[in-house]
Amino acid sequence: MKSYQTNQIIQQFQFNNGLTWAYSILWLFLSIELQPFGISLPLLLIGVVNTGFSMIHQMLLYRVKQKSFNVENKPVVERILAALLILGLLAGNFFTFISGIMALKKSLSTGLIYSIYMVLVDILIIGVTSLNLFKPFVTNSFLTTLSILIITLVFHSLTLAFGQKVSNWNPGSQKFGLGLLLLSGLTGNLLVFLVAASFYSDNQPESKGKRQTSIRENLIKNHAALLGLLFISFLVTLALTSNFTFSYSFAVQNNYSNILQSPSIQYPFGTDNFGRDVFTRIVYGTQISLSVGVLATAIPLLIGGALGAISGFYGRQTDNIIMRLLDILYAIPGLLLAITIVAAFGASTTNLIIALSLGYIPSYARTMRANVLQVTNLEYIEAARALGQNNTQIILKHVIPNSMAPMIVRSTLTIGTAVIATSSLSYLGLGVEAHIPEWGNILRIGSQYLETYPYLAIYPGLAIILLVLSFNFLGDGIRDATDPRLN
Amino acid sequence: MKKQLLPFLTIAATISLAACDVQTEDEANTVPEDYESFETTEKLSLELLGSPADETDLNIVRDQLNRNGFDVTLNTQPDYASYRSLRDAGNYDISIASWTTVTGNPDYSVRSLFTSNGDNSIISDEEVDALINEAALQTPEEYIETYDKLEQELVEENAYIVPLYNSLKAQAFNHDLLDPDTIRLSKSRAFAWEPVSYNDESVNETESLMLTQTMGDLTSLDPIKGNDGSINQLNTNMYVRLVNLTDDDDVVSEGSLSYIHAIAEGNADYYFVLRDDINFAAIEDGEAIDTGSLVSGQDVIYSLDRAKNPDSVPDHRTYSLHEHIDTVSLLTDMSELENTQLTDGSGSVLEALEAELETPISSVVESEDEVNNASGNYQVIKLTTTEPFPQVLNYLAHQSAGIVSQEQVESINTYDNDNFDITTDISYGDQRAITEGETYDNHLYASGPYIMIEKNDYEATFQKNPAYMTDTENEPNISNVTVRFIGDEDSALSALRSEEIDLMYGLGETKYEIVEDEENLTLQSRQSNGVKYLMINVDSDREVAQSADLRKAILYSINQDEISSAYDGLKLKAYTTVTPLVDTGNELIADPAKVEEFYQNYQDSGE
Repeated sequence: MKSYQTNQIIQQFQFNNGLTWAYSILWLFLSIELQPFGISLPLLLIGVVNTGFSMIHQMLLYRVKQKSFNVENKPVVERILAALLILGLLAGNFFTFISGIMALKKSLSTGLIYSIYMVLVDILIIGVTSLNLFKPFVTNSFLTTLSILIITLVFHSLTLAFGQKVSNWNPGSQKFGLGLLLLSGLTGNLLVFLVAASFYSDNQPESKGKRQTSIRENLIKNHAALLGLLFISFLVTLALTSNFTFSYSFAVQNNYSNILQSPSIQYPFGTDNFGRDVFTRIVYGTQISLSVGVLATAIPLLIGGALGAISGFYGRQTDNIIMRLLDILYAIPGLLLAITIVAAFGASTTNLIIALSLGYIPSYARTMRANVLQVTNLEYIEAARALGQNNTQIILKHVIPNSMAPMIVRSTLTIGTAVIATSSLSYLGLGVEAHIPEWGNILRIGSQYLETYPYLAIYPGLAIILLVLSFNFLGDGIRDATDPRLN
Repeated sequence: MKKQLLPFLTIAATISLAACDVQTEDEANTVPEDYESFETTEKLSLELLGSPADETDLNIVRDQLNRNGFDVTLNTQPDYASYRSLRDAGNYDISIASWTTVTGNPDYSVRSLFTSNGDNSIISDEEVDALINEAALQTPEEYIETYDKLEQELVEENAYIVPLYNSLKAQAFNHDLLDPDTIRLSKSRAFAWEPVSYNDESVNETESLMLTQTMGDLTSLDPIKGNDGSINQLNTNMYVRLVNLTDDDDVVSEGSLSYIHAIAEGNADYYFVLRDDINFAAIEDGEAIDTGSLVSGQDVIYSLDRAKNPDSVPDHRTYSLHEHIDTVSLLTDMSELENTQLTDGSGSVLEALEAELETPISSVVESEDEVNNASGNYQVIKLTTTEPFPQVLNYLAHQSAGIVSQEQVESINTYDNDNFDITTDISYGDQRAITEGETYDNHLYASGPYIMIEKNDYEATFQKNPAYMTDTENEPNISNVTVRFIGDEDSALSALRSEEIDLMYGLGETKYEIVEDEENLTLQSRQSNGVKYLMINVDSDREVAQSADLRKAILYSINQDEISSAYDGLKLKAYTTVTPLVDTGNELIADPAKVEEFYQNYQDSGE
């Protein structure tokens, strides 16, 4: 009978094994050059190194699966192999890094698993930011910000290495440590908050031996959701730090002597037909895509949620009036409504958010209403009423909190749709102004050069795919985590 | 041990990073001390209007104005119609505008745009009017200087417009199928179908020539009722004219209704000797037939009279092109030809006309029935202009001067002009009569090489006129032509590459590379008469209308070299819409120092 922790490790290894092989093969594949046929040495080297790490990974997976494997008392060979896997990070292989740490650690707490991803976000950010060093110039605040990021990385690595020993510290130091950790979350690394929350709750005296049932605790079982979270965190951090590390002039100022350059170390994704750096544009595009996505989800969540709660709770005429009006709105195709609004009021970010939000309101209201109808029939509502609470108190304190779970799942999934809708509208020339770096805008320019300069369309397209995929994975993960049948 | 190592590593990393020799933005933008410089000052905000098709230009203009300190707000309208309505309403400071001189003469390129009463003009400047009118009456040698002055007045002195570029015109075709020697690309003239032939001439009878155009909603197939991209090419190939333009915009009789034409002394009388080998074609049972009715001098008089008369049809869209025509008549007295001298003084009109005729003119006849070129009986058209105006010939080569059948048009247009109701009355050339379905009742009479059989939303089919200059080199080679309506350039190019169409007319600069890489495609390109420019809203109470200095500050912000480089270096420099037609040598050179200077003047004058 394997221990719970061994099972956890095996699952993680199995999940990462396919990915690390796919990752290695991708590099090998990229190293093949067509026209003229040949092999790119550096890429081949990365591919070969990664293949090596994948083999070690495969070997360790085999050993971990053996019955004799014991987490508490690992043989030296396993420990060395695990340590080697961590080095996979140097070749850009995140999957062996995650597996390696999981295999090396004695005990796997929720906080530790989140810490791994937190450190990965830092590394990704520093890597991407450092690419600016190859530009003709960097922003004035570049070095300061990069130093802060490096210090944050070191701090987070320490947290990963020694975080679990925090419980041995005195309460004062614990609070200070947690405070510092929260402060480092200002970079935009969302995982910091999950790590801090995990460590905090683990240190509560009553937490010992308690069954783990919160969303945060259940989510670590879903590896795809964690990868999604990693990428979203990375983008949020990038959106925040890019203001200080990336020069906006590369993204918007035309440079007529640098038109349509192929990808190089100075312009990692090449330049477009106005000589603007596509890489910087995509980085800045993150800000708009994320903010429009989040806002276009938050607004209908609030309005639709409120309308749904009211109509579900009061029923009868109220319900009828609100829901029939929303049905009318529901009958208009969302994207068409958005196009009409933007066409009528002009293309701007604010109009875009309003246009997209309106279309989503009815579906949120429907979800909320269904939940509220269910919740209002439960005994605790009756009890609250018996205790003399008024409707407002009941709605705010009992009904809404107990109906929120499906809404959260829904909103995570809608963000992805909203990002796609934003890009689609920009692609049609109806989104944000054409010169503003937004993924749809970048993709539109790329579409004109699909055959001659395909990279102009591939990279923004990939960015959109990855972001939407991440939100979908995360949404799925949260749904599973909130489903009592899966616990 | 590890704990002691890490702080050390942190410090080391920070120091080594700080030591890195990276240049910051401020350092990069510092101007060297010995550099003679001027400060780019903050300037007022400008509203730039355009449609999505102008995206590249909008972006470059915005960028260039921004770099010179202006704060530009983009107003990109979702489609051309809403852009145009905003432009007509005057809701802009500067707007992207474009103009193509389809007649190939300089007068057309300025008259409607810049004269005080021009139908596309917002400029009201007596000096400009005087120069345009002066140049109109001059010969090509004389008018260079006048147009030069006009350009100075329009751009340098007043900055009414800011030129952006002169475009190339390009077409691509499948040379595996079509004979490259038969494909023409003219500067102004619409694409001529009749010379086109397949490599394998035996399939000319059976295979249908596949062409494409963007617009499928045809304004009107009555030549005088439309002048836009939806019908220009179609009407050009359906109606013959008195004269034609060569590929380089010279006016010739070749391939037209006249054998030869001559300009009489004084530049106000024009003579055309008509051919007798063109009959009108009509459609019967889905096939083109010869009606037996000759395209005669009477039809020419009828066609030109209705072309110049604004009231001849409702929705007359081209009368301003023909306002210089005074009278059109058939000559009855041959002695007039003998007694009239040519404009260049090289002899009599008769000599000049007979030089090109196989059979000399034995008599000029009026009646259609008496025409017989083989025995020397010709119809000769005499056209007089309201004032000496040699450029009238260019307008006669325009599709709107196409010859229609008097008999047929009069039998269709039976409605009363004053009570014309577009919903019930079907006038000659209305696309409803040619569209498949209930309303189909093809009433077209084509004088040109081809006639339209039918159209639907996807394509229009044509057949050659069986009685069009038969057994001459101008007889159409290919019997059937189909024009596909493909709205978007990328799709049209895909259709060409997949051999769905044989030739694509009008190809964007960024697509040249794709065409050149295709083995079976040939790319043809040449300078066109199309000019893109910025229209400054001078007909308003906006700041740009009040101050020429402010407009000049905008003018010198524009760098045409940079624009061209964004189009793969394939845009030519332009100074005004006249540039492609008359070589005046004027050139706009961007100058940030002048921008500052004129902006300073503008501010000083405002205080």
